[in-house]
Amino acid sequence: MIENRPWLTVLSHIILLLGVCAVALPIWIALVASTHTPEAFVQGVIPLWFGDHGAETWGKVLFSAAGNGVDVPVWFMMMNSLIMALAIAFGKIAISIISAYAIVFFRFPMRSLCFWIIFMTLMLPVEVRIMPTYQVISDLSLLNSYTGLALPLIASATATFLFRQSFLTIPGELVEAARIDGAGPWRFFFDILLPMSRTNIAALFVILFIYGWNQYLWPLLITTDDAYFTLVMSIKRMVSVADGAIEWNSVMATTMLAMLPPVIVVVGMQKLFVKGLVDSEK
Amino acid sequence: MAEVILKEVGKTYPNGFNAIPAVDLHIADGEFIVLVGPSGCGKSTLLRMVAGLESITSGELTINGTVMNKKEPADRDIAMVFQNYALYPHMTVFNNMAYGLKNRGVDKATILKKVNSVGDMLGLEELLDRKPKQLSGGQRQRVAMGRAMVRDPQVFLFDEPLSNLDAKLRVQMRVEIRQLQRKLGTTTLYVTHDQVEAMTLADRLVVLNKGNAEQIGTPLELYERPATPFVAAFIGSPSMNLLDAKVADGVLSIGANIRLATDLSFNKNVVWGIRPEHLECLPESAPNEDADFILTVQAVESLGAETLIYGTLEGVETIVVVRLSGPHSPELGSQMKLKAPSAKWHLFDASTQQRL
Repeated sequence: MIENRPWLTVLSHIILLLGVCAVALPIWIALVASTHTPEAFVQGVIPLWFGDHGAETWGKVLFSAAGNGVDVPVWFMMMNSLIMALAIAFGKIAISIISAYAIVFFRFPMRSLCFWIIFMTLMLPVEVRIMPTYQVISDLSLLNSYTGLALPLIASATATFLFRQSFLTIPGELVEAARIDGAGPWRFFFDILLPMSRTNIAALFVILFIYGWNQYLWPLLITTDDAYFTLVMSIKRMVSVADGAIEWNSVMATTMLAMLPPVIVVVGMQKLFVKGLVDSEK
Repeated sequence: MAEVILKEVGKTYPNGFNAIPAVDLHIADGEFIVLVGPSGCGKSTLLRMVAGLESITSGELTINGTVMNKKEPADRDIAMVFQNYALYPHMTVFNNMAYGLKNRGVDKATILKKVNSVGDMLGLEELLDRKPKQLSGGQRQRVAMGRAMVRDPQVFLFDEPLSNLDAKLRVQMRVEIRQLQRKLGTTTLYVTHDQVEAMTLADRLVVLNKGNAEQIGTPLELYERPATPFVAAFIGSPSMNLLDAKVADGVLSIGANIRLATDLSFNKNVVWGIRPEHLECLPESAPNEDADFILTVQAVESLGAETLIYGTLEGVETIVVVRLSGPHSPELGSQMKLKAPSAKWHLFDASTQQRL
């Protein structure tokens, strides 16, 4: 910006600060609530500063059973979520980079038909096809398994599409130079395509990890065994208590934990993420 | 080192488009052949067919006596330099040059030795650790050549390698390519649309027009005795003046008014040509009868060492160019008396387009 108007600067900063508050305040309240007794949160006045039950709540949340019918501790559910999110992210990337490779670089019959079929699945997210997908997973006896959690979410048109677009920008001469240099399809994929797609893969990983981590409906549907519960769906379970008080402090602590991994991934991979979406190495 | 023979090599695309009907070309060992022609004439296609990047649909290609029609590019022992260099963006200069050797299973010590010696030859010693992104256009061009040279191939193929460089660098690299090729003695096939590049580099030139080899010969042969009006117009800058004319009863007539005496004995419609540098300008004081024709000046381009004068002849629509050495400044609209010595004429049959 070349303009130099101090009031404009002040005003825009105030707006930005308000935005930050709007996003950060609920998180702050959740953090504070996790350090009070469960009663403090429902008494009408929401506390805005830390209470003295923090250590107690966090210890309980992390190491003992989560309660409300959930027999496993939160860290165990975090592991489940992590396994699922990583499986979805890596599975999607692996499958879509290979299918994009086939669609862009190989001339096989009905190539564009294949692409459009893949593309059409964009219109069929899990929520739309949830009954038939459940049937399939159930017939394959994959209910209550990590495979069942991740597999139906792995097939992905978005990632295939993204890789396709980035492969299309690779000049034909580069492919030909590799051919003359004696690189067959495998070598070309591993020596040239994969390293060139590094930033794309990183950007996709961030998006897909968060997508996988935040899955709610699908895990809720296919897991009945505590050993496979994921964190995001369990928070809901902890709130729906039939009788007795809801342990808001534990719920809030769990929520904080549920937010943590996506934040770590985004912050840690921020640079690669932006690079992958904005520029390319070509 | 190798001999490359194209025997009636042709290309027809699946959609029926016949890009190259049939080209016969015998490239001797160590020869520098330039394929030249306007864009879309099939010169790149022909090169890519030799490289194996395009299939050959008819005829036979042999390199060193082996038929190569069905072989993969990597098995033909050729190396190619592309117009946009096609360097691997994620690899260092060293790895770019070493990649082909690595894929052929050459051991590491040999790779190191070869890449370093080629790097020295091209002045790339300092740049071996850099990525292509960090190099200038000329340096990238060198790396692309280094990648080709490192493999010590039977044949070098160049696909307009200098088009992306600025004018000064282009001249410099042109000289360098010629010297390297002489030194290495590798058979070379080079594609360009730039006729100056073609003339200066080639041992022999192939002028392509719509997939046909119009003429094959040394640069001077093509300049002095072009076989067709197409070659005549393509070789030489500014290009040859070509006018429709008619020979009858010992007189060559151009348009309605120009009559030139000639000792040609046939009667025919012809294309009459003369190079701009062969037209002679008579002094103003010379009598009109001495001049072959009068040019009305329409534009003047002064280049210092020479002057190009554009104008029209009486009764002829085509613009005629005259090239005079040194500075001249005729007024626009003024008239110049020109002489066209008959020894410098080029005559082509108007119907067959062949040289007479």
